Amino acid sequence: MNKEEWITLLDEFKLEYKTNGVLSKESREKLDKYKAIAIEEGYITSKDLNDISKISSVVVNDKINNDKKPLQASFVNRGPRNFVDGEKAVDTKGTINRLFSYFKSEVKLLVFLFISIVLVVLCQVIVPRLQSNAIDYIDDRLFDKLPFALLLMILFFVILSIFNFVQGLLSAKLSQNIVLKMRNDLFKKIINLPISYFDSNSHGDIMSRMTNDVDNVSNTLAQSLGSLFSGVLMILGTVIMMVLTCAPLAALSCIIVILTVLVTKYLSKAMKKFFKRRQALLGRLNGSVEEMVVGHKSVAAFSKEDKVVAEFEEISCELTKAGIIAEILGGSMGPIMNCINNIGFVIIALFGGYFAYKGIISVGVISAFIIYAKQFSRPINEIAQLYGQLQTAIASSERIFAVMDEELEDNSGSIKLDNIEGLIEFKNVDFSYVVGHKVLHDFSLDIYSGHKVALVGATGSGKTTVVNLLMRFYNIQNGSILIDGKNIMDISLDNLRDNLGIVLQDTVLFNDTIRNNLKYANSNISDEEMYKASKECYCDTFIKQLKDGYDTVISEGGSNLSQGQRQLLAICRAFLADPKILILDEATSSVDTRTEKHIQDAMIKLMKNKTSLIIAHRLSTILDADLIVVMDNGRIVEMGNHEELIRKNGKYADLYSRQFAGEGI
Amino acid sequence: MFKYVKRYWYYALLAPIFMLGEVIMDLLQPNLLARIIDDGVLGLNNSGVGDINVVINIGLLMIGTVIVGAVSGILSGVFAQLCSQKFANDLRVDSFKRVMNLSFEQTYEFSVGSLITRITNDITQIQNFLGLLIRGFVRTLALFIGGIIFMLMLDISFGLILFCSMPIVIVFIYLFLKKARPQYKKLQENLDKLNSIMQEDVSGARVIKAYVKEKDEVNKFNKASKNLSKIQFFVLKLFSYMNPISNLILNFTIVAVIYVGGINIKLNSGITTGDIMAAITYTSMILNALLRMANLFQVFSRAQVSVARINAVLNCLPVISDGDFCEDTKIKGKIELRNVSFAYPDSPSVNVLENLNLVINPGETIGILGSTGSGKSSLVNLLPRFYDCTKGEVLIDDVNVKEYKLDKLRSKISIALQKSELFSTTIFENITWGREDATLGDVRKAASIAQASDFIEAKKDGYFTMIAEKGMSLSGGQKQRINIARCILKEASIIIFDDSTSALDLKTESLLYKELKKNYSDTTKIIITQRIASIKDANRIVVLDKGVIVGIGTHDELLEKCVIYQEIYNSQLKGGVVHE
Repeated sequence: MNKEEWITLLDEFKLEYKTNGVLSKESREKLDKYKAIAIEEGYITSKDLNDISKISSVVVNDKINNDKKPLQASFVNRGPRNFVDGEKAVDTKGTINRLFSYFKSEVKLLVFLFISIVLVVLCQVIVPRLQSNAIDYIDDRLFDKLPFALLLMILFFVILSIFNFVQGLLSAKLSQNIVLKMRNDLFKKIINLPISYFDSNSHGDIMSRMTNDVDNVSNTLAQSLGSLFSGVLMILGTVIMMVLTCAPLAALSCIIVILTVLVTKYLSKAMKKFFKRRQALLGRLNGSVEEMVVGHKSVAAFSKEDKVVAEFEEISCELTKAGIIAEILGGSMGPIMNCINNIGFVIIALFGGYFAYKGIISVGVISAFIIYAKQFSRPINEIAQLYGQLQTAIASSERIFAVMDEELEDNSGSIKLDNIEGLIEFKNVDFSYVVGHKVLHDFSLDIYSGHKVALVGATGSGKTTVVNLLMRFYNIQNGSILIDGKNIMDISLDNLRDNLGIVLQDTVLFNDTIRNNLKYANSNISDEEMYKASKECYCDTFIKQLKDGYDTVISEGGSNLSQGQRQLLAICRAFLADPKILILDEATSSVDTRTEKHIQDAMIKLMKNKTSLIIAHRLSTILDADLIVVMDNGRIVEMGNHEELIRKNGKYADLYSRQFAGEGI
Repeated sequence: MFKYVKRYWYYALLAPIFMLGEVIMDLLQPNLLARIIDDGVLGLNNSGVGDINVVINIGLLMIGTVIVGAVSGILSGVFAQLCSQKFANDLRVDSFKRVMNLSFEQTYEFSVGSLITRITNDITQIQNFLGLLIRGFVRTLALFIGGIIFMLMLDISFGLILFCSMPIVIVFIYLFLKKARPQYKKLQENLDKLNSIMQEDVSGARVIKAYVKEKDEVNKFNKASKNLSKIQFFVLKLFSYMNPISNLILNFTIVAVIYVGGINIKLNSGITTGDIMAAITYTSMILNALLRMANLFQVFSRAQVSVARINAVLNCLPVISDGDFCEDTKIKGKIELRNVSFAYPDSPSVNVLENLNLVINPGETIGILGSTGSGKSSLVNLLPRFYDCTKGEVLIDDVNVKEYKLDKLRSKISIALQKSELFSTTIFENITWGREDATLGDVRKAASIAQASDFIEAKKDGYFTMIAEKGMSLSGGQKQRINIARCILKEASIIIFDDSTSALDLKTESLLYKELKKNYSDTTKIIITQRIASIKDANRIVVLDKGVIVGIGTHDELLEKCVIYQEIYNSQLKGGVVHE
């Protein structure tokens, strides 16, 4: 098959799709086969692939982005909290039990809440009866009794309002207490998880657990719990009162209940599919907006605006279509419920009228029943909606508890080192991030106190892993790492890290003033010390050029500073921490070489009598190192100082000559 | 905003009409009930003898109204949805289109995060409001007015009671809204603060651990968390006042209705028991409508903010506008800068580039070297008109860039950006992003030049591997190589590498440049870098310092006469011997 044949073939399939709206099974199989050939031969284009995926899809893909959780609560619309899009929980019972354990410390609040709910329901159930009496007095022309009956009503109304207020207050208090506790617990847990957790879970997902999921639980706790309890009580109380007032009419009113339950069940089933689809499309749309706005420069550089807009329009239109169906179904719930309620009204009017005509009941009873019917159908609607909300909340709590169950960083070591020498020994260290895929093999290295040691090697040779292990961001699997002769596993984690300073390739600065960022290690550092360090790290000049100087707030993502300036700040921060051992992992990669040289000079001064471990791509950074360790595929291939290694004419010499002799352009 | 609604005016009209239908049917119910009681049961117009037929007939009539009401309600929902969703769709697509065509300075002014929120959240907010406006507002208003009319029709004295209690409710609602509204802003601010702490700490976990700051961060978080809870509690507390008090007013009104009704009946003024019962139902309808309207106002004020935010986007015209020129030029790959000066729009007083003059000929390889902040990236930003120069002119192929149609101009230039932005689709699609008709064969070739084919082909799905979460599954060097493959596949006559090989190790970088030289000898290549080695062999090297060209020439020439170049060279070689 040549390229032209492939194009004609594809056109035929497209035609079939256009005429039939779908490809037959054979055609799809045939297309798959040819597609494979076209891929093999390299004919296929991106447009072809798009077309193929469009015409060969059987049903519109429902799964798209289902696993992609919206990134941030404040960013992305969470969609309607509708009772039909509840997530399913895996272990409902266990989760509910754990959730309830959060209530244990709030028993007092809980008891008062339930008492006030009972009182509210009691009042609400009794008042219609009082109203019914009042109307009967009028009807029977017993006007003397009317004022008393009305006063009684007023009394109950006041009591009702007071406890209504208490109920609202208590449930607000309760939900806030629990949410605060849960949110703080979760954050404390997350911040103390090992780095491997942050490396292996998407940040969006972690964020989503802390925001969306905690929100879901809190909303449910705030709204649902009270209304569930009062709803059940209300239904019970109303039924009792209705039966006491007029049993036959009560029985008839139950028709409303049956209708409500049936309609809710049927409608929510019908809606579920559409809401799910809409949710998936919404996720896709939001994802695409985020990606394209963030990548706007790439879009413009390749003049892809029109295509991107067209694609967006397609998703948007699909979302609209799905949204219209979903919302129409969801929206019809209101009128249908209204209709059912009205039917209840009619039943009461019709049969109540008939019974009253026959003299079985008084007119006042009809008026009472109208209220009862309302009181009765409202909690049923609410509970029907609550069901879905509860499901979502339980699924959310499950995701929260999953984090809570993660293992914390192993902090069993108890040795505290003061005033260390800075001697580091790696002894036969093996390590793999993924089982069976070793990144460090039998790594042994002694770093003497006060020495400057450099790790060089290609990307993926295991340099950063060495740092990860030394910092105990990850724990070694075989061998041991010693500092001053003490196994780092036996040293307390905080103490270990207090003694190690690190500057990372990806500079992280906090959304705070430059001053606070520099003094991150210790806020007691004096301003003089800070200025001194800042001058030595070549930060002082550019900081002073900023409008607010050292009090400039570093904006989120640090857009008011260049990447190089950010790195300088990070280096300065590490210097101010004054560790005995300093690790620089590509710390100056975005700083230009002249500035880098200045920093190095400063570093030599600052690192006197301190051990430093440096990872760098630029060999110029490490020429004066006491020891250069060349790594390849997780093994040490060469060691020595610059002159020795050049003389050896091995891997290092090769790297070096490439950089400076330049096999460049 | 209005013109978007206008497109769907028929839906916007039909929805309220049907809604009115539903409301009228609802309003009729209590009246019909009153007739069942008065005429059917009590037989007030028939000297106390009830008539069962009246009960049945009116009952059937009621069932009829119920059904008509439900159907109208559903239809109203259908039209309201059609209107608001289609409206939102148009708005969304237009806003997105506008955002995609904004100039960068404008994008940054809005901030990327804010633009995303606008297109997603704000439009949903407006859409919901429109739906609510069409149905909810009409419904509450109709219930409110209709309720008052029906009540007055029953008896004027009921109306008097209403006119006493309604102002109380209105004043109360006003006070409540006044208190509640500013809280929402505060709430949002506190929520944002909390989120930003979380975001920061999750992405900065390594630093926090390295500095043993977990406890401090927890304290910081707890403080923000507590502040948020405080405000949330305050808002919830406001609501706990709102409901009982408004219910109390409603209930007192009902007591007053019964009392006044009772007195009237005692005086035989024509009011009947049925009237009292109908009046009770109308009272709760009217006052509930008032409360719901308070709710609507809250939604309205939120939507108002959203509308303003969307309008700001829609009314923002791109600063950089299209020219007319879209013909093919004879020369391909020539660049000329004439007295070019440039300052970023947000700090117009600081010139980043100062009076640059430079001619780059087709096929030439130019290295641009300079320290951070020397204006290297700003210089190349002027070529595809990401920004416009403030003084002088930039010519590509002897035509001023401002005269080109943007598409035409940008099709001539392919740029690999410093920050490699990849999209979450397959590697294949990411590379063909620049040229859609490229075949897999082309892609393979580009990837192999970019030194990316090895690691791509080692993957299970090869070129059809999905790139997850903006390339989080790839290393920095791998992302850069895909980025470079994408750049060279575009086959432009000018290729620009804006420090786009910084994460590559030296061996890979030199292989890449070797291949590039071999395969793209006719293309003009501009390479911005910090490493002298990368550009040592370039035809000419431009040395920038503080926005001024301080040296142009070959490596050897510059080494001889350009002081800054010498300094850079020494810093990279540490003044040591060049090992060759």
